[in-house]
Amino acid sequence: MTLDAVAFNVTVRIRGFSGLGELDKTRLTGLGLRPGVSLTKILRTPLGDPIECLVGAQLLALEARLLPLIRVEIP
Amino acid sequence: MSRVVALAGRPNTGKTTLFNALTGLRQRTANFAGCTVEKAIGIALTEGAGVEIVDLPGTFSMLPQTEDEIVAFRFLSECVEAGADLLVLCVAEASNLENDLVLAAGLKAAGYPTALVVNMIDEARLNAITVDASELSAKLGMPVVLTSARTGEGIKKICSLLKPQAPHADLSRALDFQRAPQKRLHELQDSAVESARRAVLTAVTLPRKLVLATVSRSIRVDRLLMHPVAGPLILAATMFLLFQALFVGARPIMDFLSGLLSWAAESARAHMPEGAAASLLCDGAFPGISAVIVFVPQIAILFTMIGFLEQSGYLPRAGAMVDRALRPFGLDGRVFIPFLSGFACAIPGVMAARTLPSEKRRIVTILLTPLMTCSARVPVYTLLITAFVPATFRPLGFDGQGVVMAAMYVLGIVIALLLALALKYTALNEAHPLPATILPPYRIPSARELAHYVWARCWHFLSRAGQIIFLLSLALWALSSFPRDSARLGPLEAELAAAQAATPPDATLQLDLRARLASTRIEGSLLGRAGRAIEPVFRPLGWDWRVSVASLSALAAREVFVGTLGTIYALGGETAASEGLVKALREARNPDGTRRYSLATAVSLLVFFAIALQCVSTIVTVRRETGGWKWPGLQFSFLFGLAYIFSFTAYRLALAFGG
Repeated sequence: MTLDAVAFNVTVRIRGFSGLGELDKTRLTGLGLRPGVSLTKILRTPLGDPIECLVGAQLLALEARLLPLIRVEIP
Repeated sequence: MSRVVALAGRPNTGKTTLFNALTGLRQRTANFAGCTVEKAIGIALTEGAGVEIVDLPGTFSMLPQTEDEIVAFRFLSECVEAGADLLVLCVAEASNLENDLVLAAGLKAAGYPTALVVNMIDEARLNAITVDASELSAKLGMPVVLTSARTGEGIKKICSLLKPQAPHADLSRALDFQRAPQKRLHELQDSAVESARRAVLTAVTLPRKLVLATVSRSIRVDRLLMHPVAGPLILAATMFLLFQALFVGARPIMDFLSGLLSWAAESARAHMPEGAAASLLCDGAFPGISAVIVFVPQIAILFTMIGFLEQSGYLPRAGAMVDRALRPFGLDGRVFIPFLSGFACAIPGVMAARTLPSEKRRIVTILLTPLMTCSARVPVYTLLITAFVPATFRPLGFDGQGVVMAAMYVLGIVIALLLALALKYTALNEAHPLPATILPPYRIPSARELAHYVWARCWHFLSRAGQIIFLLSLALWALSSFPRDSARLGPLEAELAAAQAATPPDATLQLDLRARLASTRIEGSLLGRAGRAIEPVFRPLGWDWRVSVASLSALAAREVFVGTLGTIYALGGETAASEGLVKALREARNPDGTRRYSLATAVSLLVFFAIALQCVSTIVTVRRETGGWKWPGLQFSFLFGLAYIFSFTAYRLALAFGG
């Protein structure tokens, strides 16, 4: 399943990306979004987008359009 | 070649704090050959001469993408070419090692002499994380030091790493990032991620709790600061406070400084014989210095607040909150910081655009930042509003002059957003860049770090923009003083000499004569002639030659407008919207007895100053940041044209409505 289908406060594990260019993938990897890393959706920012997520040991603001591109599994 | 130590790492790992701890205040900024972005360079405190420390911009991966990252990797390549005795000191955040070790592992694999600084170790202890330095060192194959740059822990150990090495580090097999094929870089990145993961697995003990203490605290704070209702209110209140501090706090200091300098100029004048030398000092140099240092209080206050918000971790959140609102305009949350800085001065704003990950978006931000109402516009607005917006104008019971001032701020923002929208349909359009941002844990800013940060910004302004502004003020003085119209000046000077010799001396008469001298001088000068020559250009906007001259001179710095008008109206070089100048503008008459300036003239001037890029310092900064004259040239001519059209329209509309 993809991240957009996951409820808030549920911890999942990143499996990979779909529909992302090589460059974007590298950049996200640099930010800490890597297969195998745990991820929890924390809250929506006031305008609903981006969404604050706990990725590994750090907090990231992810844009909503990125969520369907991140494949995750419930460990 | 001397020893070069480059501090590298992801943003927010405390590189700059470490840099400050290692170099003290003995730092300078410098431009490296071929690059448009500056890096800070310092000399290590302990090892004395011979060890140069370079604070590289933050890097996320082995594939340079943003301007900042390109600069960092280009620097490494340059060191390889120059055969420097290089050490790359990779700085990592102890609580985020899995991500932060990637760069260290990658650079090591790429053949660079590397050492690792595990920073913020005090915070890691709070998080119950233990780091086994010797195990980490063995796994990564490089020296490892655990530090807290803030408290000074472990700094001495770093110093021992900095000593020049004999023989020099071997860079012959180091990878040239500028020439390496993308595939090689991707492989490097992937293997670095894997070695970082393995190193963390054996050398770092994580707490049993799933979420680190600092992170769970940050989440709790975020639930309040990014609350759907409280979040935007807190953001608005923060911005409001920032402006209040900027204007209420800086004003008395600015007034004091400019008062002090004009007092110094007047006392110097009293002790010097009348002539070009006295004029150069009192009308050129002192006002020039004044034009520079009056900005310092505002820059200091702005960067104290921005620095506080940045170090506390709130700024990226503020950006995330406004991100969605900016997207329809082809912008994103990251332009928030440059735009916000632009309200004090476009120069720090333009410089802040460096952190934008995409080049096109960076250019758009640089082009639009000068539309934010900078502090130099405020004296101009204040003068025009005080002189021409009637005190009886009280819409909905509010102070009308205040409302107009607020409207000027809104006007700048609206035009910037409209232009951003228009730029979406040009080659500068770009799909929303990188859809993820790091929200660092909330931290309590340290006063020392903040002082360093503010000092660096003020110094940067004084040493860069300050010099240009000062030199331009001198040039402007020369333009407004020469050539001398002796036929008209002679009798006035003789009268003044007589007044000075008279007993008792008539102070009022002397003042009046001096003012008339100044105004006659400017009228016959090159600037005065230029003003008359361009008068036909600005006539359709309702400007006469005096206002045209003042606007020309405002190119040096916008608020010079006020001073020049003061000189022309024979009031001595006034720098503020004083009563005298306000009265002179209100009462100025044409030869036929009609009012020289009306509300319509003021409206036209206000609109023009809101849009036009009337600031040489900004133009110079944009050139430096974009690496050529193309963008500043386009920006200046486009904004000038736009300002002209808008101000013409506003003038005609105001006339039609009886202004």
